[in-house]
Amino acid sequence: MNILTLLIFIPILFALIIWVMPSAWRGSFKYLTLAATLIQLGIGVWLYLHFKTGAGFAGINQEGQYQFVQKLPWINLNLGGISRMQIDYFVGIDGISIAMVVMTSLVMVIAALSSWEIKSNLKGFFILFLILDMAVIGVFCALDFFLFYLFYELMLLPLYFLIGMWGGVRREYAAIKFFLYTLFGSVFMLLVMIGLYLSVRDPATGSHTFNMVYMMNPANYIPGSVFATVSHCQIFGMSARVLGFIILFIAFAIKVPVVPLHTWLPDAHVEAPTPVSIILAGVLLKIGGYGIIRICMGIFPDIAISGAFWLGLLGVISIIYGALNALAQRDLKRMIAYSSVSHMGFVLLGIASQTPEGISGAMMQMVSHGFLSAMLFFLVGVIYNRVHNRDIYNFRGLSELMPRYTVFVMIAFFASLGLPGFSAFIAELFSLAGAFKSYSFNGLLPQWLSAFGVLGILLSAAYLLWTLQRMFFGKELLKGGETWKLALIDIDLRETIALLPLALLTLILGVMPSLVFDKINDSVLALVDITKHFITL
Amino acid sequence: MRGLLTYLPGRMDDTLNSLHYFMPEIYLGVLFLLVLITGLVYKRNAGGMCRVIAIAGMVFVLAQDVIQSYVPVATTVPLFSRMLMLHHTAVLFKLIIDVITILLLFYFAWDRQLKAHRKGLADLYAITIASVFGLHLMVMAVNLLSIYLSIEFVSLASYLMVAYKSEQGLSAGAGLRYVLFGAASSAVMLYGISLLYGFSGSMDLFDPAFIGGLSHVNTLSVSFALVLVFAGLGFKLSFIPMHFWVPDVYQGAATPVTAYLSTLPKIAAFALLINFITPFVFISRWNGFDFRLFLSVTGLITMIAGNFAAVMQQNVKRMLAYSSIGHTGFALMAIVSFSAEGISALIFYLAVYAIANIGALILASYFANITGAENMDGYRGLGFKLPAASICFVIILISLTGLPVTAGFIGKVLVFQSVYNVYQQQHHVLMLLLLATGALTTVVALFYYIKIPLYLFLRKSDNNRDYAVSSQILMTLAIIIAVFLVFIGLFPDYLVKYL
Repeated sequence: MNILTLLIFIPILFALIIWVMPSAWRGSFKYLTLAATLIQLGIGVWLYLHFKTGAGFAGINQEGQYQFVQKLPWINLNLGGISRMQIDYFVGIDGISIAMVVMTSLVMVIAALSSWEIKSNLKGFFILFLILDMAVIGVFCALDFFLFYLFYELMLLPLYFLIGMWGGVRREYAAIKFFLYTLFGSVFMLLVMIGLYLSVRDPATGSHTFNMVYMMNPANYIPGSVFATVSHCQIFGMSARVLGFIILFIAFAIKVPVVPLHTWLPDAHVEAPTPVSIILAGVLLKIGGYGIIRICMGIFPDIAISGAFWLGLLGVISIIYGALNALAQRDLKRMIAYSSVSHMGFVLLGIASQTPEGISGAMMQMVSHGFLSAMLFFLVGVIYNRVHNRDIYNFRGLSELMPRYTVFVMIAFFASLGLPGFSAFIAELFSLAGAFKSYSFNGLLPQWLSAFGVLGILLSAAYLLWTLQRMFFGKELLKGGETWKLALIDIDLRETIALLPLALLTLILGVMPSLVFDKINDSVLALVDITKHFITL
Repeated sequence: MRGLLTYLPGRMDDTLNSLHYFMPEIYLGVLFLLVLITGLVYKRNAGGMCRVIAIAGMVFVLAQDVIQSYVPVATTVPLFSRMLMLHHTAVLFKLIIDVITILLLFYFAWDRQLKAHRKGLADLYAITIASVFGLHLMVMAVNLLSIYLSIEFVSLASYLMVAYKSEQGLSAGAGLRYVLFGAASSAVMLYGISLLYGFSGSMDLFDPAFIGGLSHVNTLSVSFALVLVFAGLGFKLSFIPMHFWVPDVYQGAATPVTAYLSTLPKIAAFALLINFITPFVFISRWNGFDFRLFLSVTGLITMIAGNFAAVMQQNVKRMLAYSSIGHTGFALMAIVSFSAEGISALIFYLAVYAIANIGALILASYFANITGAENMDGYRGLGFKLPAASICFVIILISLTGLPVTAGFIGKVLVFQSVYNVYQQQHHVLMLLLLATGALTTVVALFYYIKIPLYLFLRKSDNNRDYAVSSQILMTLAIIIAVFLVFIGLFPDYLVKYL
């Protein structure tokens, strides 16, 4: 039994168990879900420890270099004529995926711990949670485009119900907006996917294939097909490959999210219940970044090079616009949602730079932001659970009431703004350094772009420290008065257990970033190598 | 008269030989008589007896179809002096039609409103069998006369089925509207057929003289005649602008009759369309009326109009009616590819759509039986009271939208692929427009399909009534359909290998 298949489908097994259990035992559903996510975390750590590094294990466009691979023939449709549609169940991980898989499994444990606060329709909630779990791990492991698309779309329906049924006041609007927005991007991605399928030939069998690794090799393209590199097919006056890249980029940019396609995020994140917000911010946003690296850059490196400036510009716009928006918020959860937009801008900037430092920084930012956003949303959830209010202006002097909570908030806020010693500092440093270096390394990004990116760090310090001071320091003053003071008890054991690993990890990664960098280095270098061929200096 | 004598022996031999290939239809004819007589003989429990006989008979017909499916793929057998033609694609369509008919025959008796009809359902079964006979003829028709005859056959049967539940004013009005519109479009089609006969001198579509004769005529005149014929076909297919009857009839007829109308005549009409355009497109080089352009534009407009109109609907059956117009538009995309691959994609898409649509209507029946809810507003909060049925409804609606992991998604992928293939060969911008519109209307479709789960699960009901659960058999059927759709979505091989 392949370890990746086990990792992907364990949640479904537990979902089936929960489904058949009688409702009288509903108290055990949360423990079952926690068990499922802990098993996934165990497998994830095992994969991490047994992941081989070295030039021969870079992956990206060499199928033989992926690890823990399983490739089974799955769908074999013989439709009249000579064409056969052949889809394989193809999973495997390389340096880019391993970082994402391990981070996802940990964030899922935190989300499962946070699900204690759900009180109604527990069976439905946990079954949908586990289906979502399966889908996100599947996205990171899939190497066949059809399988990737299947898992990618499978995320949407559970999220619609999770936000729409257990969410806040405007949950219906947020849920349908999220669903429609994301589906719009992905349905056009389906068109490009089929176009790529028809343009690529499997070297072994000679038939068309959805295999992503083969799509990254220009030699596999059929001459004269829509997306072939040399044929320069034109659609609406634009090169077909440019159009394909733009459509794919838009689909993933909606997820990252990149300004101006980010408007679904504040609504979805704010209205979702805490565990769902943690999954949305911690994992889903990274799927967008992963998709840009794996698919946009891997399959269309030539267009990624020629469009690098625009990608970098969009990244910097996201950084600054997200931070400015966060500065203006009253609602704590909304502020953190916009800070997510801002921090994911660093990911796009790092990717656009096409330098080893930049891409490593982008990967590190994805991992680090996964942990930090999980921590931040969990912390917001703590306050909201107690008093059902998140307005920054309604709290003051919380450090006297909830000292342990304040410690974690301080760690989360300082880490988030990029204080040296924490993981986000390394991530933002490398992203900006890569973007800066890009001018002399491959001539893609101008130097003023990264200078503006630095401004984002200043702005994030502004809104985070301002919030910290206003809500936690100073004399105690609560809008709800005595009722709130009694309700605001300090964090209990479960919440401490959820927050402590995240705090420790962000500190450890800030001091020993080699834990991430060592694993991803070979893949990052291979990725830069692919794109180097297309750079004209 | 004496001149005809020389033809007679040949025609007699031809007819007698054709009977051998006509077995399913002969079985259907005998079955119709059997059901009709049973309905007359048995006064009490006529409905139950007729149903048993009808279903058993359909199983025999299905067996005959399976025997016919062993005909080699490339052979075509002309029957009855080239009035009908038996080929592999036609047999596939007949198989699908028969399987869905059996499903519907089970369903008719489980709808409470239909069952409450004071005359009983015996006649309905007889009419259904007769209409299936007509559908079989439609699928095989290759002569202008047999095309018209079979379409009228099916139309007459559907008029009766629509008006069957005739007590309520809504159904009688819908029936009348259907009859008038249908009669008008038949008349228009007959005019077009007569023009084609006048231009070419032949009724036989596959006669070289037919195409030859039409090629020599002024393009505008031939186009006019062809558009008139398509008006008749369009009535059955319900593409724009022949769709106006669909919402009222689907809403007003009894739900099982809606299930029949939205699936079977549509499937047979698509088969007829393929038969009709084959001589023009596949066999000879025809450069008069541009079929690809006509079908693409019709498909585009139908997709857009059907899907956007469904957004505003509040009644469940009316919403499903407009969405079926949208599905017709999408299926037209598959024909536009004019390839064997496109036909296979079309058959898969139609089969999956039919099963999912019947599932959706079965659940609409189920909810109407238990709670009397016809509008989406009446579905408020039912997800918690009737969880199994609601979850099945969600799965079936996801399949109709075309999202993974359901069979509807595979259908969409296959259709997109066949259009893409055409684009790669010819770089016609219309193909790209079709693809983009198909993608865009999928998003629009999600918006209105998700309204039902929205009311079922996301909204709470104001009252706290408990409902007496009945019609469990409908729920079982819906569960089977939902499981089937997900299974085929994950392993489509099991369905495609029969196509």
